[in-house]
Amino acid sequence: MPEPTDTTTGRYLVLIDEGSAAAGARELSSVAGIRTASTLEGATAESLGTVDGVIYSNLGVAVVNAQPDQVNALAAAVEAPGPIALVEPERVVQALAAPAQENVTAAVDESVFTWGLQAVGANISTATGKGVRLAVLDTGFTVNHPDFAGRTVLTQSFIAGETVDDAHGHGTHCIGSAAGPRKPASGGPGYGVAYEADIYAGKVLSNAGFGSDGGILAGIDWALNNGCAVISMSLGSAVRPGTPYSQVYETVGRRALSKGTLIIAAAGNESRRPDKIAPVGHPANCPSILAVGAIDDQRAVAFFSCGTVDTVGQVDVVAPGVNVYSSWNGKSGDSLHKRIQGTSMATPHVAGVAALMAQQHNARGWELWARLMQSARRLGVPATDAGAGLVQAP
Amino acid sequence: MVPVAVTVADGIAPSTVVPALERAGMAVDRVLDALGVVTGTVPAEGVFALREVPGVVHVERQRQVGLPGV
Repeated sequence: MPEPTDTTTGRYLVLIDEGSAAAGARELSSVAGIRTASTLEGATAESLGTVDGVIYSNLGVAVVNAQPDQVNALAAAVEAPGPIALVEPERVVQALAAPAQENVTAAVDESVFTWGLQAVGANISTATGKGVRLAVLDTGFTVNHPDFAGRTVLTQSFIAGETVDDAHGHGTHCIGSAAGPRKPASGGPGYGVAYEADIYAGKVLSNAGFGSDGGILAGIDWALNNGCAVISMSLGSAVRPGTPYSQVYETVGRRALSKGTLIIAAAGNESRRPDKIAPVGHPANCPSILAVGAIDDQRAVAFFSCGTVDTVGQVDVVAPGVNVYSSWNGKSGDSLHKRIQGTSMATPHVAGVAALMAQQHNARGWELWARLMQSARRLGVPATDAGAGLVQAP
Repeated sequence: MVPVAVTVADGIAPSTVVPALERAGMAVDRVLDALGVVTGTVPAEGVFALREVPGVVHVERQRQVGLPGV
């Protein structure tokens, strides 16, 4: 067995096709002579002392001890038809302690602007997003929200049997962060980054919060046809480590960039720091889709924020995603606004900043991507968690 | 039936590939011209045949996508 390094354990991970754990065990034995035990039969990581490998049936992953010739045999099995989909060295995943907060500053004053607007410098930028079209693909929009009276809002539902009206609330919250007001008609702090952008609200998730690739791709197509410079997607599905990104979304991301549209997506909320760092989900894990992680008002990475686990599928930037105040789908009073958390909330902050840059520099596509990365404020946390850092308004 | 998303090659209008996709067994739902993508459904055993259609680059099964949970 190879020696462990700082980043690998010396063992290997074998990804087995979904639902093929038993066939995978047979294949490991026949092609490489690796004897495995299954967690379904009570095996644990400690079983590696008595067998060559342990199969985590629910994950479709085996952890195996393998000599170099066995690794070669497994690599050949990946190329050939059969249940073995991928072989890779097992990594050491570093548990990250929250950054030290020796001098915890007082809670941010949110009497005028949310902490999120202040953290990205939107409140001190002269840009407004005026003339820039910004699409938010989510659960829809509360069309009659008083804070958006007089704004240009175009809507389209891609969910059969549901109007664009946001019975969930999530979409209205995201639109608020990206493009809501600085002086809300219903009172409270200003919460919108690109407060004069034209809003394109595409409903690609149902009122229950679910959708499929078909509706999302249709929403992206709609945004491109309408000349949107920015698409904000606070949606996704969790992936296992080592899962290849979608070739379809990657192609779509590249084509969108070449047509002057930047797609920004939430990295995902599956981490449980410091114990577990989950990989960036689909479709944010595509290289040509900008993946956004979340930080709190002390600039610490949020406990749930997905991180860079695989060689592709990185976090590109971070933005405010904890205790985020924005619009909600209620009809009056307290239900017009809500505080929630998630990389879903960080994503529209980045989309709003991108819209400000699109206005300020007349930047589109790859140039917009580059300007976001160039100007992001570097944080004292690993690039695998924060990418280039905290986005900053122009 | 399996929901799928199909990308066509750069420079090819997706609508021109639709007849061949339909002959290969796909029920087309949407033709996304700006993206060069066609979505729809196909019998599970027909996915491979779609990959053989001239002009097609990728065929993927559509995923369920939702709000990231916290």
